[in-house]
Amino acid sequence: MSFSIRRLYRGDTNWDFLGVSKRVLTGSMIAVLICVVALFVQGLNLGIEFEGGGVWEAPASEDITTDDIREAAADIGMTDARVQRITGGDDIFRVRGELPSGETAESVGSELAAAARVDSEAVSARTVSPSFGDEVAGKARRALIVFFILIALYLTLRFEWKMALGALVAVAHDIALTVGIYALFQFEISPATVVAFLTIMGYSLYDTIVVFDRVKDNERSLSLKTRMTYSDLANVSLNQVIMRSVNTTITSVLPVISLLVVGSLIMGATTLQEFGIALLIGLLVGSYSSVFVAMPLVSSLKRREPHWAEQDRSAEVLSESNSIENAATALAADRYDRSSPPRPRKKGRKR
Amino acid sequence: MVLLVAGASLAGVLSAGWSPVLGVQLQGGVEVVLRPADEVSDEQFERAIEIIRNRVDAIGVAEPDITRQGNQVIIQLPGVKDKQRAVDLIGQTAELTFRPVVSIFDSSDPNQLAAVQQLVQGDAQDSDSSESEPLPTLSEVLTPPDQDEASESVVLLGSEGQTGFVLSPAALTGEVIEEAAATFQGQWIVNVSFNDEGALLFDQMAVANYQKQVAIVLDGVVESAPTINATEFDGQAVISGSFDEEEAKNLALVLRFGALPVEFERDDVRTVSATLGEGTLRAGVIAGLVGLALVALYMLLYYRLLGLVAVCSLAVSGATLWSIIAWLGESQGLALTLAGATGIIVSIGVQVDSNIVYYERIKEEVRRGRAVKSAADGSFRAAFSTIIWADLASLIGAGVLYQLTTGTVRGFALYLGITTLIDLAVSFFFMRPLVVLVARRLVKEKPKRLGLTVTTGEASI
Repeated sequence: MSFSIRRLYRGDTNWDFLGVSKRVLTGSMIAVLICVVALFVQGLNLGIEFEGGGVWEAPASEDITTDDIREAAADIGMTDARVQRITGGDDIFRVRGELPSGETAESVGSELAAAARVDSEAVSARTVSPSFGDEVAGKARRALIVFFILIALYLTLRFEWKMALGALVAVAHDIALTVGIYALFQFEISPATVVAFLTIMGYSLYDTIVVFDRVKDNERSLSLKTRMTYSDLANVSLNQVIMRSVNTTITSVLPVISLLVVGSLIMGATTLQEFGIALLIGLLVGSYSSVFVAMPLVSSLKRREPHWAEQDRSAEVLSESNSIENAATALAADRYDRSSPPRPRKKGRKR
Repeated sequence: MVLLVAGASLAGVLSAGWSPVLGVQLQGGVEVVLRPADEVSDEQFERAIEIIRNRVDAIGVAEPDITRQGNQVIIQLPGVKDKQRAVDLIGQTAELTFRPVVSIFDSSDPNQLAAVQQLVQGDAQDSDSSESEPLPTLSEVLTPPDQDEASESVVLLGSEGQTGFVLSPAALTGEVIEEAAATFQGQWIVNVSFNDEGALLFDQMAVANYQKQVAIVLDGVVESAPTINATEFDGQAVISGSFDEEEAKNLALVLRFGALPVEFERDDVRTVSATLGEGTLRAGVIAGLVGLALVALYMLLYYRLLGLVAVCSLAVSGATLWSIIAWLGESQGLALTLAGATGIIVSIGVQVDSNIVYYERIKEEVRRGRAVKSAADGSFRAAFSTIIWADLASLIGAGVLYQLTTGTVRGFALYLGITTLIDLAVSFFFMRPLVVLVARRLVKEKPKRLGLTVTTGEASI
């Protein structure tokens, strides 16, 4: 294993990504299925931005319990209010419920402040009308559809429709998984989370484009000279970009983890938490899907094209034992041709 | 070059004393999203926003941000002190009233102010004591906004703030006005037509105040005080005076739409306490710095000298971004929101990725036996093309989101777009020259310094 990590570090891998992709894809499909089922069975835990209602947050001290607060809320007619104590950093009470008739956000706030024995200025409040959420959701949906259409066009123009399809399927896969996890664990969905979902789409596409870009590049330079099958081509390209994918994922995930750990666990800022979870899941799933969902899909579509089907057949006839290796060698040779001829190695160079 | 530009802009921003304007969630304050209850025309909407802006200015908020997004008005008042009052004031539909003028005074003359005070307080105050008391100030004489009731006598200022008016209880309110239009007939005049009830009330007022002035009062300000020149109007009145075109049109708008021409529903009202805002800000800043440090450490360990270039690229982008945010805050009143801040933390990853794409290309070329120097030069084209295509997708996303959404998502899209553009610029103008420089001067064919190892054997398992 240590050997292959060193290879990975050098960017010198020969992994058969497409070979394992069938098994991995089955796993993916099961996961997506579970998520979709969770979505329909449990539904999403929507924040007040989507459902309407009010949220009040007050600093919490040691000697006051959530029950005290719950009682105070019930006294002013908020019997079904959800009261939480959010720990980490400075504790706060979070009360969520419908605004009782005859009360204003402020009057409820000062009642709760009295119950929590803090100044009413220290209470943060938010009330949202029910219709607002529909509007937010409606806008996001419309934006999403336009986005998908534009991206599909863009990828079709830049690459080809098969790749556009592969990329969008991968994105849909990522969103399904992330939203599914939110349904499964009943994390709250807020506009911040929606932003996170959108970011995930961005990342996932970005990742996929980097992979496709390399495949296209290799296709131009290699396919005419060699007897590579499309799977080989895809595998070679994936091996070339895998280290970049790994590194990018690590460097993207590090700030998000720091956001989650520092921001929400130590400092107790819930808003950051909402964001962080979605991003973390999405980033990991996004890089995975570029390699294991988008590319295999494109490959299986491309193999039906006459040219690549022909290559497949001839590869079978020749029954080359290790076509990937041949491809890699061919690729290396090709690069030599294009760049300056290899110089004789200097003595001091490391072996 | 870029270093110069980034450095200069940062220095400029710092020396101008600009700093990013923080949004409501990051420093406490009030955020209100309003939506008209009924269909409204664009003209009404714009007028309503204008009025809201005036009201907010009257509260005295340092960095108010009032924007129309589709059919919503988003009002952000970071750092506002009296939050509930701000919320109340913003959305209320204050009345337009017609009040007979009792007397007119010069608000800068203390003697006249004293006379007005006496007049308003009437007989309750006996005349001896007023001599011993100091002369009243203007604010003591004027009716405070919360006591401006239609059924009370009030003391108000004109729209220019110079002339003061002592006014009787309202004779009629703006609801009875059916239509008002500015027309030009030798001079600019305003035609007003009333509904049946209004026609009756207006005639009654005209009889009682013939040859006297009647003030048109909006939001506690006397917009105009025409003299009544007839006793029978039959539901049609003409207001003439030395209006210019703009004044006449404004008056017509005021008459037509009343105070707030639109009745608003409060879609979303959010008050954030200063402590909570600060807590979030602190959490965000610490999280951002820790994340940045981790990324820098990883890049240095993995790519060595090239990692250093990446860290420098991040610093340059950071300086540019800071300048842009500060500039946006200063010139456009655009606040850095929580969503925006998070977007920026996230964009660290995108920024670093451009470096990684490039470095991995270089490594690949070097592994094939190409000299580090020429690899650094030669790989950029391919790497940058990848970066452009990928960034373009991000830009499309940011553009769509910015156009089609509001609030949180829109703020995020803005910063995503900005950081992506910065990424492109920094990659091209900064990262590339620096990498080439490093490859030429410092590496001297010792690829290990770049975190590269060179294999000699052919790829084999």
